[in-house]
Amino acid sequence: MNSEILKQLDDYDNVINEREVLKRYGYDYRLDRGLEKKYLERLHPRHITTKIIDIIEETPSTKTLRLASVEKYLPPFQAGQYISVNVDIDGIRTSRPYSISSSPDETAYYDITIRRVEGGFVSHYLLDSTKIGNTLQISSPAGNFIHNPIIHSNKLVFIAGGSGITPFKSMIQHAVNTGISRDIWLIYGNKNSEEIVFDDYFTMVAKRYPTIRYIQVLEEGKAHYNGYITAKIIKEVVGDSSNKTFFVCGPQGLYKHILKELQTLQLKPKQIRMEMYGVPPDVFKQNGWPEDVNSDSKFKITIKNKKEFTVTAGEPLLNSMEKNGVIVPSLCRSGECSLCRVKLISGKVYQPEGVKLRQADRRFGYIHSCAAFPITDCEIML
Amino acid sequence: MEYDVIVIGAGNAGLTAAATLAKKGVKTLLIEKHNIPGGCATSFCRGRFEFEVSLHQLSGMGTPERPGPLRSILDSVGVLDTLEFVQMDKLYRMVVPGLVDITLPANKEGIVSELQAKFPEEKDAIKKFFDFVWQFFMEVIGAFYLNDPDINKKKYPLYYKYALKDTQSVLNEYFTNPILKAVITPYWTYMGLPPSKLCFSDMAALLFSYAEFKPYHIKGGSQMLSNCLLETFYRNGGEALFNTEVQKLLVKNNSIYGVKTSDGAEFQSKYVLSNASAISTFVDMLDDDNVSGQVIEPYKGSSVGTSFFTIYCGLDCEYDKIGINEETNFICNTANPEYDYELSKVVDTDQSSFIVTCYNVFDNAMVPEGTSQVVLVTMKYADAWLKVPPAQYYDEKHRCAEAMLNNAEKVFPGLVSHIEEMEIATPITHMRYLNHPGGGAYGFDQYVKDSTLFISPKPPINGLYCAGSWYGSAGYQPTLTSGHSAAMAIVKDIRNK
Repeated sequence: MNSEILKQLDDYDNVINEREVLKRYGYDYRLDRGLEKKYLERLHPRHITTKIIDIIEETPSTKTLRLASVEKYLPPFQAGQYISVNVDIDGIRTSRPYSISSSPDETAYYDITIRRVEGGFVSHYLLDSTKIGNTLQISSPAGNFIHNPIIHSNKLVFIAGGSGITPFKSMIQHAVNTGISRDIWLIYGNKNSEEIVFDDYFTMVAKRYPTIRYIQVLEEGKAHYNGYITAKIIKEVVGDSSNKTFFVCGPQGLYKHILKELQTLQLKPKQIRMEMYGVPPDVFKQNGWPEDVNSDSKFKITIKNKKEFTVTAGEPLLNSMEKNGVIVPSLCRSGECSLCRVKLISGKVYQPEGVKLRQADRRFGYIHSCAAFPITDCEIML
Repeated sequence: MEYDVIVIGAGNAGLTAAATLAKKGVKTLLIEKHNIPGGCATSFCRGRFEFEVSLHQLSGMGTPERPGPLRSILDSVGVLDTLEFVQMDKLYRMVVPGLVDITLPANKEGIVSELQAKFPEEKDAIKKFFDFVWQFFMEVIGAFYLNDPDINKKKYPLYYKYALKDTQSVLNEYFTNPILKAVITPYWTYMGLPPSKLCFSDMAALLFSYAEFKPYHIKGGSQMLSNCLLETFYRNGGEALFNTEVQKLLVKNNSIYGVKTSDGAEFQSKYVLSNASAISTFVDMLDDDNVSGQVIEPYKGSSVGTSFFTIYCGLDCEYDKIGINEETNFICNTANPEYDYELSKVVDTDQSSFIVTCYNVFDNAMVPEGTSQVVLVTMKYADAWLKVPPAQYYDEKHRCAEAMLNNAEKVFPGLVSHIEEMEIATPITHMRYLNHPGGGAYGFDQYVKDSTLFISPKPPINGLYCAGSWYGSAGYQPTLTSGHSAAMAIVKDIRNK
């Protein structure tokens, strides 16, 4: 605005006066440089450098790595959350999410409990090639597989399969350690007794606290129940399910099966919380996978202005990019958090059910590279 | 790498600027710290819901036959035809339990008659006040939008008298009932200052603009707009870097020559347009021995503006089942905005007034069938939240959400029992994702003394331009407009050389 007009406005002098005073006594923002970032760092640091301070053998195929911060501080987290572990294996930089299995009130360390995955890459590395004293770079805790006291019941049914037990260990231990009021039924399915993780701990707390029930379901061997976890077992164990919230965590196989079982209990959607658990390993068998694409199919991937490489069908784009030195940030690796989002300029990818794409991202051709499987040649923009 | 212009930040202003520049054939690089475009104008997914991050009633759109200023800008950038806009026919419902419950339509006559019916004792004053607001704004349009070459006090008496006045003193000239005054002004929360501190022209502009051009919502949410602006930018040859933070502005002899990113890369350009906060731009990206002292001098009296405490709720029922019928609902604890404003400085929410927004009233594409999405938001400055020990942060979040939901239950009974998916955002959350000091979504406090009338958005460094809420008015229309204006100023400067 023309300053002559401005000067003639009523109250102009008052405003100028105030500005003059504030010029003398106003705030110098340079004094606060970095202050707020420091607070944020205490809650949500981008990366944390940790040191392995202990390795605990849980079962023949499972170990717990106990991680303490090199900077002596770990941000708080909510029981059920996960961290992403960044690794560099033979020059390939990648990451994997692991639920924290220790309780939030144990503030000195995070435990992650890792089971050997058949044909796995990172699990072998973490189980075989790490030693006490090694450093590991991790993300800050993330994830929404948490108990919300406002909308979830305090009567909780935890359904775990195999290594999917880890977030429940954290939740149960948190309830026990802090005395918060929770009524818990833990129904834990495994192949055999050898594979049960944290068996001693759950047996101990179930014996000591009547509000915690621990029910083992084994495919083979002596247990409370044999076979798979079914609606019948759940009904027998928990009784009325209408006033309870169900948390489910396990390998992909468990979800398919348990969802059908839970359906017969006539629960409302809000009563069921499912943890993410990666992308289907048997993507060729998924609904909608194109028939003419199989494990021998190869495609050319072009990363705009960067690189070209060939991939074999059946591998998530994110993994292929990492193998070829193309790094994008990643966290959940299950198609949810959208950190690894890239733009698909041309070509087609298969996206399994349940990938959480924003409407606007779907419309403008963005994909979550962790949950996108190329099924033609593709051009990608980071 | 050398570019004509580098744009820092892909918020509303940065995206509009980048899209405008690319459209004009200017070689532009857009750098954004986050992994998605939009700043405030984004969405996120939880369960089967996709939540709109920033609540907006888009002002200044108007109809195709009678376009408002924003429609023209979106058209000139080339995104208008790709997007769908939904017009709202109501301004808002305002409830103070036990005191008042009123819904105002989005037109002047309707507002007046609705208010007159509820406040018959001030019938004449209501008519007079709205006539006055319209007259005032017609003067603004005549003088500034139509570029009158001879603006003077005789021609525009209302403008000269009221342009710098606060809202409260104008209301006091017309009305006695404090409830009536509160009912007319809940939009103060859209600007972050209560009527006693809020410039009357800003309040008048908002009332006039909403009633004349109607409030709009972007179908599919604000991420649609953000993605669309970015798409236009790409289509016109623009390049963008996400997950990349600008650490330093490169300045020599008071002229900008590029930026340095946190991974150490340097990019050259004679123009930089910053959509990052004024504090990030002038304090963090410039060194003390550089020019930052001089550059931030005008902002010494400005204070970091408000942030929000927000509860995003995905409901397992349709919105009308819990008594929601309007898209925008102001649920107030008192009819005293000044008191509400004071409450924005504490962590607690048990007495806070808040806004309940439900876009599904107009746009059902946003949710799965049989469900709805409701968002509760209240103004909160970050200062108090910054004193919460990190170890107690999550408990505080839940405690404050519960208190606010309990108050919401009084107006929308059954709300809590239908929440299937919930996410809570605090000023700290906004700070984290926006990278704004104080999580400020409106930039600095929007006092008239700190407005563009008194501080030029163009900092005194050659080639450095700024746009967004930190350098002028806040909100969708103002920030989109400021990005466009800054881009046009750069285009003009390039062509003059």
